[in-house]
Amino acid sequence: MLRIPIAERQNWRQRATEFGFHFHTMYGEPYWDESAYYQFTLAQIENDLEDPTAELHQMCLAVVERVVNSEALLQKFQIPEAFWSVIADSWQRRDPSLYSRLDLVYDGKGPAKLLENNADTPTSLYESGFWQWLWLEDNVNTGKLPRQSDQFNSLQEKLVNRLAFIARQKNMEQLHFSCCKDTVEDRGTVQYLQDCAAEAGIANRFVFIEDIGLGIDADDMQVFTDLDDRRIDACFKLYPWEFMQREAFADAILQCPTQWLEPLWKTVLSNKALMPLLWDMFPNHPNLLPAYFASDVNAGNVNLAKTQRWVHKPIYSREGANIKITEGDNTVLETDGPYGEEGMIVQAFHALPRYADNHTLIGSWLVDDVPAGISVREDRSPITQDLSRYIPHIIV
Amino acid sequence: MTIRKRSASIRLARMRKSFAIKPLALGVASVFLSACGGDRQESVIYTTLDECIEDNPAEAAATCRTAYEEALAEATRTGPKFATESDCEYEFGTHQCREVDTDRGSFFMPFMAGYMVSNLLSPNRYYYQPLYTSYSPYSPFRMRWAMADGTVFDGDIRKRNYRVRSSTYDKKPAVTRTIKRGGFGSSVRAKSSWGSSSRKSGWGG
Repeated sequence: MLRIPIAERQNWRQRATEFGFHFHTMYGEPYWDESAYYQFTLAQIENDLEDPTAELHQMCLAVVERVVNSEALLQKFQIPEAFWSVIADSWQRRDPSLYSRLDLVYDGKGPAKLLENNADTPTSLYESGFWQWLWLEDNVNTGKLPRQSDQFNSLQEKLVNRLAFIARQKNMEQLHFSCCKDTVEDRGTVQYLQDCAAEAGIANRFVFIEDIGLGIDADDMQVFTDLDDRRIDACFKLYPWEFMQREAFADAILQCPTQWLEPLWKTVLSNKALMPLLWDMFPNHPNLLPAYFASDVNAGNVNLAKTQRWVHKPIYSREGANIKITEGDNTVLETDGPYGEEGMIVQAFHALPRYADNHTLIGSWLVDDVPAGISVREDRSPITQDLSRYIPHIIV
Repeated sequence: MTIRKRSASIRLARMRKSFAIKPLALGVASVFLSACGGDRQESVIYTTLDECIEDNPAEAAATCRTAYEEALAEATRTGPKFATESDCEYEFGTHQCREVDTDRGSFFMPFMAGYMVSNLLSPNRYYYQPLYTSYSPYSPFRMRWAMADGTVFDGDIRKRNYRVRSSTYDKKPAVTRTIKRGGFGSSVRAKSSWGSSSRKSGWGG
């Protein structure tokens, strides 16, 4: 695993406009960075990332099976009680899932370590599935990279096939897509999935999450509606379940027959309480870091080793918010943010590898339960936030 | 043989958001024309059940009746619904609307003005579709046949024979009445777009 400088494609900004990549620069900082790339060997990809990703995912599903059958754990996961049975039903039915991203610490040798599972609303999908693919294609075509260069990235192909499968299985006439207003990154991610749906031959419509309505149809059933008063029979939402389950339409989720993507059972996976459960069920697994509920630590049930650093994370948090790193009684680093009231977990600190001045994090993608590629992000801080930069990769 | 670890078949043209080269009108037209091909159904519009029975061989009478009843039921399910009688009459004309009561309140719908059928002699494969027309001077549907999704047939209501694609008989999505919005997301933006006859885009669907 090497970080290798390379000249930017001269026309890459034009290419970005042409293909609708509108968030390559965010908050005045570059987000897409093609001044370098990461190079992996095929063995690193297949043995250290792809296989462990498939295995970790199956372990996560084992956690879902255990949590949905335990009221005590559903409580510990801070899932609203009104949703316990529908989440269990969604799991028993195996409602189809679309995709996830596991965040891994990996430095080219030794086992990758799972930091967390973004199972509900992962972004950086377009950059991974399409844009870094195009970067490689362009650089191979101009002879800047050897023709045999490859990339671990079959995301787009797998997303198209998976969407086609789900639409057939669920007999969908059309699929709605939704995200929040005022975020060009989320809208871009959702547009990409709409493009994949179109490629799969599925009629698709967009509605902002704030614009979703609640109505009654001609059969007097409660239904969610879009701005044209169309029924939302099936909807991909890039909006977290833990928010939806606490908002005004939470009750309506229980009444309306909408088929959601991701499905309700993903509530269990996108929750950082997953990490202590994994460690409990698969202790000392080479791809896991020790993790505990903060409540168990505070109650004296678990003693944290003083000689090692620990990361304190809220059960619900995104993009590195509200994270604290401690060593013994000292706080080494702390980020602020709006999360944390739902409880915390504690996870053994495992430093991100450094390349030049960068801390590097691997995102490992799954479409349903099949590993589908990786993305590489860099940050100047040891905690990856939403200002981190996206760097393409190749396999040689 | 090497196995690639990346997508092999991304169609770049599909991923473009702006035109790299302006498309030729010819290319667009040929796609459009081919999409219009396909099979067509000989179809007749009747305004009453008796019209249908008189117009067809005796063995079609039972199918006329079934198709009529199914079209009526379909009209109640998918027909345009309005919050007030005046909104409905603005679109369809005076005395052209009926009140429908449900346990969630009442609303107003136009009467089914006719029904389109085909394949009547084949009892398992006949088609039906409820149709509406308007007597309102303000309506784009005035004196023409229209379906529940707002599609208008060419010609006026005297025209009774059409060759239509079989997809014309697809069931229309049930019309939905939105009660409230803004229950998801941080910003609450309550908005109900139902109930005004000034809408230009047809009726939901």
